[in-house]
Parts: sequence; structure tokens; C-alpha cells
Amino acid sequence: MSRTGAFTLRLAESWTEIRENLGRSVLQALGVMVGVASVLGGFSISDSHQARSDERWRKLGGMERLNVQPAEAIRGGNPSALQSANLGLRRLDADEGEEMNRKAVNATSVQKNARARVRSPYADQTRQISGIGGDFLPLNGYEIERGRLFSTSELEAGAPVCLLGAEAALAFFPTGDPLGQSITLGETRVVVVGVLRELVFRWRDGDGNAFAWRNRLIAAPAAFVATRMQGDKYSRVDRVTFKIPDLSLMEGFARELVAVLKSNHRLQDDFRIDDIAARMRKRQSQGQVYNIVFLLSGVLSLIGGGMVNVNIQLASLKERVREIGVRMAIGASGKEVFKSFLTEALLLTLLGSLAGLLLGVVFAKAICSFLEIPALLRPTSFLLAFVVAAGFGVLFALYPAWKASRLSPMEALRYE
Amino acid sequence: MENVIVTRSLTKVFGANGNAVHALRGIDLEVARGEFVALVGPSGSGKSTLMAIIGCLDSPTAGTYTLGGESVERLSGSALARIRNEKVGFVFQTYNLLPRATVSRNVELPMLYAGVGRRQRRERALELLEQVGIPEKADRLPSELSGGQRQRVAIARALANRPALLLADEPTGALDSKTGAEVLGMFQQLNRQGHTVLLVTHDASIAALASRRVELHDGLVRTVESRAD
Repeated sequence: MSRTGAFTLRLAESWTEIRENLGRSVLQALGVMVGVASVLGGFSISDSHQARSDERWRKLGGMERLNVQPAEAIRGGNPSALQSANLGLRRLDADEGEEMNRKAVNATSVQKNARARVRSPYADQTRQISGIGGDFLPLNGYEIERGRLFSTSELEAGAPVCLLGAEAALAFFPTGDPLGQSITLGETRVVVVGVLRELVFRWRDGDGNAFAWRNRLIAAPAAFVATRMQGDKYSRVDRVTFKIPDLSLMEGFARELVAVLKSNHRLQDDFRIDDIAARMRKRQSQGQVYNIVFLLSGVLSLIGGGMVNVNIQLASLKERVREIGVRMAIGASGKEVFKSFLTEALLLTLLGSLAGLLLGVVFAKAICSFLEIPALLRPTSFLLAFVVAAGFGVLFALYPAWKASRLSPMEALRYE
Repeated sequence: MENVIVTRSLTKVFGANGNAVHALRGIDLEVARGEFVALVGPSGSGKSTLMAIIGCLDSPTAGTYTLGGESVERLSGSALARIRNEKVGFVFQTYNLLPRATVSRNVELPMLYAGVGRRQRRERALELLEQVGIPEKADRLPSELSGGQRQRVAIARALANRPALLLADEPTGALDSKTGAEVLGMFQQLNRQGHTVLLVTHDASIAALASRRVELHDGLVRTVESRAD
């Protein structure tokens, strides 16, 4: 702030000018307000949606994962000797992948699926059985509610034990505690050692549980499923998952993994690597298209409002020509006149933006409550909406301010 | 004696070629420090144009003009603004006060443009309002004042930066004869205190109060009469 307090005075004069011409000023601020509200509201809606999706991933055990699944390598004709000798995706692949880069990997799991008849004293259904190994439960967002995890020796030996998801527990043991009870998977009786906490995720309040299928889990050690249910002595698996918390290491890890797996698989490309984080990032960048659309619609209303402002400002300049002449006669330079016009426009933009930010919050809350998702308002959205509005405010104030500053003092003084 | 105003062959042409209007056709004028000069002439004589150039509101087409020792005929817009601010004190027929600023603010304005600090500005404004006899009106709005009082505020504002020249354009034109006389008395008093006053008027009785009368006709100085006292 200058020693002379010229800025404060300009600000005070601008405020007086705004107050004395309230109708005109409100009109001018309106365009800014709508623009800011539209940018902020739009961003908030898209952010809220994004947050919802992130929440889902967190509940799924995070997206910093690399999945390896078997794929068909033999295309037509008889398999070659190498192809016949290939054993496919095995437990060994998971172990070697983890060994290969302990720095990048902080958890590994394997999954072996089977479909079989499941019988308890209360129910008899055909269900999916998940043979699990490694850190399957935390990697998939499951938690034990009662009972215990499989012990390492049970996993190694493929012991006849199982864990039930919340829905499965209720389906096969509608009354009484399933813990310690027997259940038959295929032809083998196993003991229920744990029940998993129910997983719930709703896109909106009042929606069905998007995770209902995950509560149907019936899990046994992968080795159990492979040997006791499928007679597979090579411990083949249907999915290997590596958790890579540091996403920057993901790409390098994936490259190394391909090399290791290829050598394990007799040089066959019989696996598919799925970098979930990369897939999600791609989807998120598509989500940003919406942000650009919201920004654009905000900018359009700011441009519309800005043009209205230029007109109003030029009209009000006509009313003030004489006053500008007087100011110039007593020594105001064109620069001084320019600054005072710009100050007024900036103050109006500021007030309009503040109102717009408030309106934007209301706007976002209203729409999010209509969509029944929690509203998320990021500070950067406020900042961006404000900066964009202020930028356009200045841009459109330049012309009238410049015009005012170029008035000839003599003609301005004689203006009626 | 030192001259505040010196013009040589000052001409001003409006428009161009076929419809050019020669408002000033070569004015040679000198006003000494401490003089009270009345500039008279019928409308269309060029006195408004001359006043605008003398007040640095406009630039001459040709000729030279020296104000307070500074050559100003070729100065740019912002340099002229500085000259108006420092060397010229304007008093207009219709006061031309800013309606939404207090009396004190109005008086402070030229000092603000000159970069004078807030406190100093206020002090000087109060001092000037005291000098023109309305110290109690400092925090009023111009609309609360009578015409005579408003013209006093305008005079205080004109004096704010201690200008070399007080330039008054029909300062009593909007006032009744009694108030007009008071305002003229104030100009006479300021002149006695050493201020150089150039008063533009069409009223012969007002012109008679000046120490010298310069009459303009068709863009030329026709007569210069000094009052013998």
C-alpha cells in the first residue's frame, strides 16, 4: 500500500460508486457470480463423483495393483512341444515375482477358482469356491469378523478349512454360529474357521449394495482347491496379484515380471498383465473431460457477463465524462483514471466472485444431494473458479478503462 | 518582472483543409507574476480556446507557450497532467466539485495526484478551507453547501498545490450578484497576497476589477488596457 493511501482511496471511491449505482452494479456482478458458481459447482460435482469412485477402490483393497491372469497362447493347429510342456500360471510365478523385486511389492496373493456343490446342514447350492493364498484378504478389502485367518501351514498344506463371506455364512448357517462347523465343498468336508465382515458400498444412499456379490465369498486355501478339488499337482492359479504401493515402480516391475514369467512359461505368452492403476488413471483422465466442460461453461458465462459489463461500463462512462474531465483538469493523468476504473471493475468482480462461490457451494450441495452422493469441495476448485473470474473481470474492464483514460480533458470538461 | 505566461504566435486550428476553423490566429501574450488579468471577448472570439491552452487542457497547433518558466507546447498527455496539477489552479463557472466526495476530499484531490501523504493532505485542506472562510464545512458533501460556499471550496482546491497561476473561467457566472461580489473579492485578496490570476469573463464590470484587461477578437488580441491606479 502506498504512502499516500491512494489505493485505499480509490477502493473507497469505487465502493461509493458501486453503492450509488446499485442496480447497475448488481447486473455487472451477476455475470461473474453465475460464472464462478458454474465453475465451482461443476468441479465439485465431478470431484464428488471421483471421490466416490476412489472410496470404492479403497474398499476393494486399493488400486495400486498388478493382476496376472492366464491367457490362451495356442491359436489353431496342434500345440508345439514347447506349448505342450508349458504348465501355465502357477504358484511359483507369484513367489518368483515377489522375490524378484521386494522393494516394489508389498503384498502378493493368488487365487484359484472352482465351481462346486456346497452343502451344510441347512443348504445345498452350487457355488464359486475361491482358493486363496498369500495376502488375498487384505488385497481385496476383506476383514475377519469372527474366527481367524488361515495359518501359513494350512495354506501350504491345503488343509480342509474355509472362510465364509457374510452372505455365505448366512446362507449356509441361517441359525447358530458357523465357526467350527463342517461344510462340504465338492466331496470334501472342511471346517469353517472364520467369518468375514460384511462389505457394503453404495453409489448413492438408498442404492443397492454394489458389493453384495463379494459377500458370497467361500474361500479355502488355493492348494486345497488345486489338489483336493481339481487334482492339479502343479498348483496352477487363475490370478496372481501384486500390490505395488509406489506407482512409479509399477512400469519397471511389470517389464521385469514379463521376462520372468516368459522364462517360466517356456517362452509362451500365455498370461495377461493388467495394471489396474494405469487403467484407472486413464478413466480418471476421461473424467477430467467433464471438468473441462464445466470450466468451459463457466468461462462462457463469464464471457457473456463480461460483454454485458463492457456495455454497462461504457454507458456509465458517458455519465462520468464530466467528472473525469474535472479530475484531469486538477491533475489526474490518464493512468490515474485508468487505475480508478480498473479498481472499480476489480472490486465488482471480487464481490461477484464471493457471491458466486457461495452460490456454487449451494449449487454443488443441491445437485449432490439430488444424486445422493456426499458433496466434495476442494480448495483448488475455489481458487481456480476465483482466478478465472478475476482474470476475465480484468480482461473485460480493460477496454472501458482504457477508453476513459484516453478522454481529452477539454472535451470531457465541456461534455454535457 | 518575471513572467508566468509567455505565448508567442500561438495558433489553434480545428478541423482540416476546407472546413478548418482558425480559433487562434497568433496570440502574443505575457502575464507577469502577481498580475490580475481579465481575458474578455465576445463568444467565438477564441477566449475559451486560449484559456484551454493556457490551462494546459489542450495543445496549440503552432507557436510557443511558456508557463512558469517551462515550455509546454510540445508536452505529452501525462506531462500536461503533471503541469495542470502543479502549476495551474482551475476555478470553473459550475464549481465542478466531485458530488460524492466530502469538501475536504475535494480539496485534497490535487494533492493526492501529486503524491502528498494522507495526513499532510488533510492538514493542508483544513488550512485552505480556513483561508476561504468555511473551515466548518470540511466533512460535508458539496450538495449541502450554497453556491458561494461551493465556489470557495473550488478556490481552496485550486490553491492546493500552490500553483503559479489561478485560472478562473466565469467564476461568478452561476452566482447571485452579492455572492459573486464576495467571490471576486476573494480573488482580489488572493492577488494582493501575490497570486497570479487570469480571469475569463464577458462581464465588463468584472473585468474592470482586474489590473489589466486583454480583449480578444476573432482569434487575435485586439486591445490591452492597463488600469491606472
